Parts: sequence; structure tokens; C-alpha cells
Amino acid sequence: MTVRDKAPVTTRTGPLLFKIVMLALVDAGALFAMSILVTKGSYVAFTIMLLATVGINAIYLSKRALPAKYITPGVIFLAVFQVFVIGYTVYIAFTNYSTGHIISKGQAIEALLSQSQSRLPDSAQYPVTVVRDGSDLGFLVTSADGTALVGFADEPLHKVEASYDGAGKAVATSGTTTLSFGDILAVQQDVFDLAIPVSDSAADGTLRTQDGRSAFIYVSDLHYDAATDTLTNTATGVVYTDGGRGSFVDSDGNEILPGWQVAVGWHNFTSALSETSILGPLLRVIVWTLVFATLSVVLTFGLGLGISLLFDQRGMRGRTLYRIIMVLPYAFPAFLGALIWAGMLSKSFGFINQVLLGGAAVPWLTDPTMAKVAVLLVNLWLGFPYMFLVTTGALQAVPEEAVEAARMDGARPWQVMRYVKMPLVLVSTAPILISSFAFNFNNFNIIYLVTGGGPRDVSASIPVGHTDILISLVYKVAFTGQQRDYGLASAFSILIFILVATISIISFRKTKTLEEID
Amino acid sequence: MSTHDRRPQYQSTALERASRAFRRTGWRHLVAWVLCAFALLPLVYVLSAALNPHGTLTGSNRLFREVGLDSFHRLLNSDQYPFLTWFKNSLIIGLTTAVLSVFLGALAAYAFSRMRFVGRRPGLLSLVLVQMFPQLLAVVAIFILLTKIGEVIPAIGLNTQAGLIAVYLGAALGVNTYLMYGFFNTVPKDIDEAAKIDGAGHVRIFFTIILRLAAPILAVVSLLSFIASFNDFVIASVVLIDTDKQTLAVGLYRMVSNANYGDWSAFAAGAVVASLPVLVLFLFLQRYIVSGLTSGAVK
Amino acid sequence: MLMTKKSLVATVAVAASAMLLSACSSSDDSPTTTSAAPTTDTPAATTTLTVWVDAERADALAAVASDYEAATGIKVDIVSRDNATMKDDFMQQAGTGSGPDVVMGAHDWLGELTTNGVVAPVELGDSAANYLQVAVDAANYEGTVYMLPYGVENLAVLRNADLVAEPATSFDDMIAKGNAAGVEYPFIVQQGADGDPYHLYPFQTAFGAPVFGRDESGAYDPSQLELGNGAQFATWLASQGVNGTNIISTEITGDIATDKFLTGQAAFWLTGPWNVKAAVDAGINVVVDRIPSPTGDPAQPFAGVKGFFVNQYSQNKVAANDFLVNYLGTADVQKALYASGGVLPALKAAADEIASDPLVKGFKDAGEDAVPMPAIPEMGQVWQFWGVAEAQILNGADPVATWEKLTQDVQTAISGS
Repeated sequence: MTVRDKAPVTTRTGPLLFKIVMLALVDAGALFAMSILVTKGSYVAFTIMLLATVGINAIYLSKRALPAKYITPGVIFLAVFQVFVIGYTVYIAFTNYSTGHIISKGQAIEALLSQSQSRLPDSAQYPVTVVRDGSDLGFLVTSADGTALVGFADEPLHKVEASYDGAGKAVATSGTTTLSFGDILAVQQDVFDLAIPVSDSAADGTLRTQDGRSAFIYVSDLHYDAATDTLTNTATGVVYTDGGRGSFVDSDGNEILPGWQVAVGWHNFTSALSETSILGPLLRVIVWTLVFATLSVVLTFGLGLGISLLFDQRGMRGRTLYRIIMVLPYAFPAFLGALIWAGMLSKSFGFINQVLLGGAAVPWLTDPTMAKVAVLLVNLWLGFPYMFLVTTGALQAVPEEAVEAARMDGARPWQVMRYVKMPLVLVSTAPILISSFAFNFNNFNIIYLVTGGGPRDVSASIPVGHTDILISLVYKVAFTGQQRDYGLASAFSILIFILVATISIISFRKTKTLEEID
Repeated sequence: MSTHDRRPQYQSTALERASRAFRRTGWRHLVAWVLCAFALLPLVYVLSAALNPHGTLTGSNRLFREVGLDSFHRLLNSDQYPFLTWFKNSLIIGLTTAVLSVFLGALAAYAFSRMRFVGRRPGLLSLVLVQMFPQLLAVVAIFILLTKIGEVIPAIGLNTQAGLIAVYLGAALGVNTYLMYGFFNTVPKDIDEAAKIDGAGHVRIFFTIILRLAAPILAVVSLLSFIASFNDFVIASVVLIDTDKQTLAVGLYRMVSNANYGDWSAFAAGAVVASLPVLVLFLFLQRYIVSGLTSGAVK
Repeated sequence: MLMTKKSLVATVAVAASAMLLSACSSSDDSPTTTSAAPTTDTPAATTTLTVWVDAERADALAAVASDYEAATGIKVDIVSRDNATMKDDFMQQAGTGSGPDVVMGAHDWLGELTTNGVVAPVELGDSAANYLQVAVDAANYEGTVYMLPYGVENLAVLRNADLVAEPATSFDDMIAKGNAAGVEYPFIVQQGADGDPYHLYPFQTAFGAPVFGRDESGAYDPSQLELGNGAQFATWLASQGVNGTNIISTEITGDIATDKFLTGQAAFWLTGPWNVKAAVDAGINVVVDRIPSPTGDPAQPFAGVKGFFVNQYSQNKVAANDFLVNYLGTADVQKALYASGGVLPALKAAADEIASDPLVKGFKDAGEDAVPMPAIPEMGQVWQFWGVAEAQILNGADPVATWEKLTQDVQTAISGS
């Protein structure tokens, strides 16, 4: 049994001072941030910050909680950036965040009304001067024959006497002050929203300006009634009500877009699981994803380990140079490497076919099977240096005396390998392998860059390809054409995560037997 | 009964020496050359394209048809693509991330390795599991998060390098921590005990003993962390908006994704230059990576 | 208690220093307001317009922006964005309050942009008559104008005049002339593994099979999928593929096509204005011709109109509209934008001036028959399947059957969406 960690009896002043200073800085920063959060009214964030700060102080000021003192700094970053992303994905999965449902309800109404404004075809372009009477804004316009008209929000257009500038535009009239362009900008939202009735009859439309210099007559065919929360199309008489699914619908259920973002409960999950168009290729894609992830790990680990062992020989010269060359594929930016490979594997013009294979026409990227081979090949090239580094590190950790002892007992090199080195290496790299499996399970980038998921599976009714893995399939289903269904994609992501996590946990359990009992 | 080095001494012929040498290390060299060819193939291709003053990337199957440094000139002097600024940004961000990431991870790995507490095993497991979550919506989430943070503390908000580093540090506790944990476990606890008896506190043990002995794995992890942040373009393109704040990876990706971009040899030159820092770092770290300090400490 | 006396002292010390530090820091930092959104309660504050542009045109627009600021006092902040993500980023950020006031883009974004409610109508007023007709048509969506056009882009055929002295009169004539010149590629057009229907569209329309029909107002009607009339086109396409002349091949990517033309191995190249500069720089004697038709009917390429949109949720819509309509819509600015991107200006006056350059005139002439790309959301469903089907036909699949399946798939996708 190890001695339970107890705090040392004496606290030296140096470390104590350092701790106080660091905590003080953290607390000062937190207090500053919290004060801003309060002024913004973000009470949730404020509470979280408060709890976190109190927690941090408790951890570092208490005599116990030693492990927490070491783990907390990393966990803070983890919580803020990784856990938040997961939390956000979960949140989105329960909403209808997608094309047509991106904005809030108020914004949607604003957009609908704005889009429904149509300029009267025969409306002239009126040079306009913005004027102010007391606190009301109004328009002073010059009609084509030179007469000046003025109107306010509650006062339809009527003729007035005005003074004109050199170009014949009315610029001032009595009882009002004229706004300069700079003045207009200061209140531009109000100027933009201002709608002056042309006459007492609403059907004649309203006068509006968009740039503060010219005004036109508009009619709108949509009218929003805040009391009943309905939109009415004044031209057709159709009334739209809030359909509860984030859009206005008419009595037949036809919705008008834009709509808004709203929570939809489990809807995304049920449609993810019952989406018939993907059920067809789904099984094939799942199998390929598992194969791809597993083979990627096996191949990269095998090659990486093989190279480590190759160089694990004292007296071999030039190891440094070899090691550098082996790490180069990893040093080169991965996405560029993938792109270069894609170019080299081109059937008619690629380097591999033209030069290395002497003019062969191997369809690396266009044949379903060869494309899979190609993707695995590129992934091998991209990944083996990482495994090489990791296994080199792991081999270094194999205690010399264990190897010596085995040799003393008469073990041959390959027996030393099998019974001494390999188990120790596998123990320390097992989590790496599992996590590499999970990484490749979701390795969207490489599939996308090398083959784009292709070649296309033309028998399916969705644009899925033969090298598509689960995550890229999800991407194509959720983001087809101009439709972007973030809610659906999030639901799928969560389902994929559950799948991968389950496999990983099971693998961890299995490899636990290899671990030394602590 | 030992077998090695007990053979009777006699003069071996050159052929016998050579064949022994071949059996011991020669074949290794042969295999190594084949592997080097595999590793270098695309890179040589890129290098040839970079040195080709005016070629297209896929049209240059004849390697090293022409050689010249014009592409590098064009790259470095381009006013549309501030290559050197990007390079500087990437270096700063990469190095800072690597150092801090290793430090945070080592702290946590030390706790997991040397201390016993409730939730230790599940904690380790969950660190690895968290990284498995599909990052399909990470881009949107990070954007929203940094915007909100930027409203409170502009210095680490959107469009700041500090913000980007903070995002990268979110991944500091993950598989790399597990790597370090595994390595720390191989450092015998007797050393800790001996130091404690001498009156050293846990902080002292961490800094002076563990970190020193774990140099190989720290070197590996810092290299991995540097590569990850240096070559990342997905997150960086979300966080950094101003062109002169962007990193090399983002810049290169922009050059590639611009369908109208024609200067492939300059782009290849950029790719070559982009690999240099990692190479240099590896050269610098590699004596730590392959040192056998641990075995020395025990004896 | 967990805390010993020593820890208590430490706690107090920490708390005290924290208070001190935060008091110091908050007295330095007065509540800051960022400059993106101007405050309306201080009339002296300058209005700042945030404009997103793609990286290529950022410099040209920066010069334009400073002139505008000198004239009106409105500051214009040009933000250079990545073209590939600009549309998505804009849609996500428009409503959040930190989005731009103005964004640069293409007219076929309008379906998505209006569906998501993120763009505001732009009133061109009387100045609408100053623009090329195709530009105004493209800027219009469901009866409302949402875009200030600045450039019209369409495909044309680049001819290497040193190899072939005369323009081609028809597609077959073009191949004949190209072969007579003795080069490996009489005609080259980029495709790629998944096809490139954008580039082949002029031939498709020549066979009478546009994607969608139009209704009375001239807008594309998603209920009239006329893709189905393409059986003849499909058959012709098959004859140009691997089972025929192999003139059109999925092996040819944009990169390869560029390389072949620039090195003089191709006589005719179907491409857009973005490649002209490279060809000229490579020393090719370039002439721009209309697209020769494989039938008696004209080959109508797609026209892509580029312009500026106003964010529906911008706080500076008056300034934005003024910037767009009254400033970006002037000849000098349109010419400046042309200078940086090479795209024909949308303003007639500027276009006529620029068209004194024979290369630009060639594109302008080729664009006379151009039709705007459909901006309706249903177009997205078409792109899913279109290119792949054409690639299949080129690689030997039965043309008529494949085209029928394409039409069916698209129809199902449209009805199901």
C-alpha cells in the first residue's frame, strides 16, 4: 500500500506567495468578467463563473484535494472548450436549427414584412429630404413637376411651400428642421423603418426611403397582427398562424419561409433513425467505417512499430537521418498531403500510374474497391509517423533489466520481442490505439480530400459514395444541396458518438486485463 | 548458459564480417530505404513542383524538369498572401500551444499516476472519450463561444490568437495525457519515496524528478501538440478572421480552395516551407525522444 | 473545518489582493463599445459599415472605401473572408448582431438567403436601367431586387490563335479545326470525376433542355423541370465520351485543362474569364469566341452575376444602401472592381468602356445568349445528381436510361424536400 498523500507539514513562503499571487490574478479576472456579465444581464453565465471561481478557490486554498490541484487547470480548458461544444451539439439536436429556421421569431417576422414590400411599378423616384418636427421624423419629397410634399408617420402626404436647392430639390419647409446626411445616419434605423402614408387610404401604399436620398411608394401584401400573432396576406386574404414548428402556416399546412428556430424535442432523433433514404446504404457504410477505422489502426500501428523495432538496434548508423525522414509525412500539413496524393493517384495523369507503374491505368479513385485501397494507403502514409513516434517512446520505456533478464534466461531475440517487449508496448499504447480507432472512425477530412466519399454509389437515392464513412454520410444527408439541417446532423453526431464510445469502452475493459493493478 | 560473445576468438574473413554485419544491420538499411522512398514520394513531388518556376501541380510528372527559386520569390513577395506573417503567427501559436499543452497534460498525468482518488479510472477514461465526439458542429459552437467570451474579455475572444490557443488547450487533456500517464507509471515510485524522505514536497518531486525523467515522452507530446496546432486549419479559420492574423495552414488552405488560383508552384513552395518548423523541432527534440534516461535513474 | 489557521490567513490575503486588483483593473476599463455597431445616442459617433469581400477583391475595395469615407464620412471596414465559407458564415452570423452590414456574393445565393430571411431588399430605383439586363434579372428574386450587381460572368471559348486562325462555326467545325492544327487536344473542357455540368450547360441548352422552365415573369419555375428533355443531349454526350471521340473526359480536371492550354497542347478551351490572365501570361495568343453549338440552336451558357447584399439585421441599412446604390453603382467603382477580378462590369456604361479590350468583348458577346443560373432552392437538388449522371454517361453508361434516372432522382428529391 502506498502512503496516502498528505500535505507537507511546513509550507514554505515561496510557493505560498506564488499560489496567492496566481489565485489573486484569477479571482481578479473572474470578478471583472462577472461584473461585465451582470451589466449584460447574462445571469446564467454569471452564476457559472461564480460557482467556478468559488470552486477553484476552495480547491487551492484547502489542505486536501491535492489531485484536484493538479487536474484543475487542464479541466478548466477542457470544460470550456470541449465540453461546451458537446453541450452545444446536444442542445442543437433538440431544435429545428436548419435552413429556413436560423433566426428568431421576431427577426423572421421582420424579414417577412420586409420581403413583402414591393415598390409600386409606376412609382416615381422622389428625391427626399428627411425633416423633423419636434420628435417626429418625416419626409419632404419633390414630385416630378416640382411641387413639394411633406408627410409624417401619422400625417399623410400633403403639399407645402418649401425652399429648393440648385437642383430643384425641396430642402426645407417651415415648422421643421432639416436633417443633414450625418444626422440621418445617427438615427438611420428610424429613418429606414419610417413609412409615410401616401393618402388616407392604406391601399395607396406608403412612402419609404432606403438610402436617405430617394424615396419610393411601396405596398406591402403582408400584414402582421401582434395581438393575434397572425400574418395576413392582404392580396389573397390568406391568414397564417404560428404552426408551432417554427414557421407561419396557412390552414392547409403550407408554411412560408423564413421561419425561426424552435425546440422540437426528439423529432431529430426519430427522423434520424427512420430516415428511409439512408437505411439502404447505411449498413454498407457502417461496415466500411468499422473496417476503415480498424485497418487504419492496424496498418499504421504495424508499420510504425515495425519501423521502431527496425531502428531499435544499437550500432545502426544513420538512425537519426532515417528517423527524420520517417517523421516528414507527419510534418507536412495533412490536408496538403491528402491533396497531393489525390493528384498523384489520378488514373490518366497521375504520377503513380504514369511514372511508377509505367503507364498503367489503374483506376485508383474511380473504382469502388481501388478507392478503398487508395484511402487506406493515404491514411497509412499520413498516420504511420505518429505510431512510429509513440511506439519509439513506448519502447524506450521498456526497462532494460527486463530485456537483459530474458536474454540471460536464454531467450532468442524474437522471443524477447514477443514475451517481454510487445506486452509492455501494448499496455502503454492500448489507449492510443483505441483513440486512434475513434479518430479514424470520424476521419471526415481524409475521405473528403482524397475521394470526396466517391466513387458515387449510383444505385442509392442519396448522393452517397463507396468510400463514405458514417460521418461523411451524415454530412451529405444533413447538408444536401442548399438544405442545411444542423439539428438532424447533431442528432446523428450524438448517435455516432454513442456507437463509438460503446466500442471504445468495451475495448478499454478488455485491455484492462493487460494493465498492472495499481 | 549464455550464448553471445563466448565464441572462440579467431580471425573472421572480410566476407564473414560483411555477412554478419548484413545480417545484423544491413538488411535493416535496405528495408529503411524502401520505407524512406514510400515516405518521401509525395514530398519529392511537391519539392519538384516548388522548384519548377512555372508548372502546374498535376502537370509536372517529370520531376525536376526545371529548377529555380522563382516560386519561392513569388510566394514571399505576394501582396495578396502575406506568407511571412502567417508563418510567424503559426510559429507563435504552435509553440505556445505545445508548451502549455504539455504542461497542463503533465500536471494531470502526474496526479493520475501518483495519486489515488475516487474517480481516477473513470476520469482517465472520460478524458479519452470526450475527444471522440464528432466535431461536425464544433465550428459553429466555437464561433458562438468565442463571440460570447469576446464580449466579456475581448483579449481572448474571436479573432485573437490568445483565443485560438485557448481553444487548442481545450484538447490538452486527452490522449496525450494518457501517453504521459503511461510513461510516468514506468518511473518507479521508489524514487518518489526516496525524495519524500529527503523532505521534498509533491511540487518539488514533480518539477525536479518526474519532469526530468519523463523528458522523452514530454518531447513526443510537445512535438505532437505542435504539429496538431500548426497544421490545423478548421478551427483556426473560424477563430482568426483578419488576414494578417491568420495562420499558415489557413492561408495555404485558402490558396488551394480558391478555384481561380493558378500559381501552383508558389503554393507548393508554401507547402515546403510549412513543413520546415516541424522538421526543425523534431531535430531539436529527437535526442530527448530516444534517450534512455529512465534506465539510468534506477541504477 | 478543513482550513487551518494558516490557510485562513492565505484566504484573506488572496481575497484582499483580488479586490485590489479588480478595483484597479475596472477603473482603467471604462465600458467599451466596439466600433462595429454605432451608438445612436451619440450623434458625433461615426457610422461604420462592415463589408465582407472575398480575398481577391479586398484590395480594390479598400481603395474604393477610403474614397467613400472622404465623400460621406461613413467609415467602411473591409473584411476579407474565405470565399468557400462566406455564404454559410454570413447566414449563421447575420442575425446574431455581429454579422456584417454588407456581404459580397453571387446571385444564385438568393434562394437560400431569402429562405433564411437574412437579406434585405435593395432599391435600385431609376438606376436599374443602367445595368445590363441579365444583371438586373439575376438580382431579382420573386419580384424583389436584393442585390447590387457588379459583375457578370459567363463561359466562352478561348482559342489559341496561333494554332487556329479562324473562329469555329459549330462544334464539329471546332473539332475539325482543332485536329487540323495537329494538337493532342482539339478541344478541352474541365470535368472531373463527378462531372462538371456547369461547363457543359451551353451544349445542353443547345439541345433544348434547360434545367427549369420559366413562368410569365421570367423567373425559374421549380414545378417545370425541363431537364427531362435532355435525351438527345445525353446521346450526343455519350458520343463525346469514352465510347466515342473521348473529347470530353472525366479525367481532365481544371488543373490539367489549364496546363494543356497553357503549354499549347489544346486549341480550344471552354472556360471563364478567370483563366484569361494566366493564358495571356503564358504567352498564348488568346482570342475569345462565342461557344460553338453542336446543333442549329445557340449554345446558352449560365451567367453568374456577382453583387452585394445588405444584411436584413444591419443597424446601418441607410448607410449600406447609400454605399451600394449610390456609390458602388457608379462607373468608376465598377471599373475598379473589374480591374481586380476580371469580371465584366454589370453597369452598362462601365461594361461598354471595358469592352474595348477585345478579350473582354469576346466574353461579353458570348454572354449575350447567357441565362442566369437558377437561384431557387430546388436547384440544390439538381446539383446533387446532375454531374455524376453526366460523368457516368461520359464513361460509357447508357445515355438515355441514365438521363431518365437523373430526372427521376431530381424530381423525387424536389418533391420530397
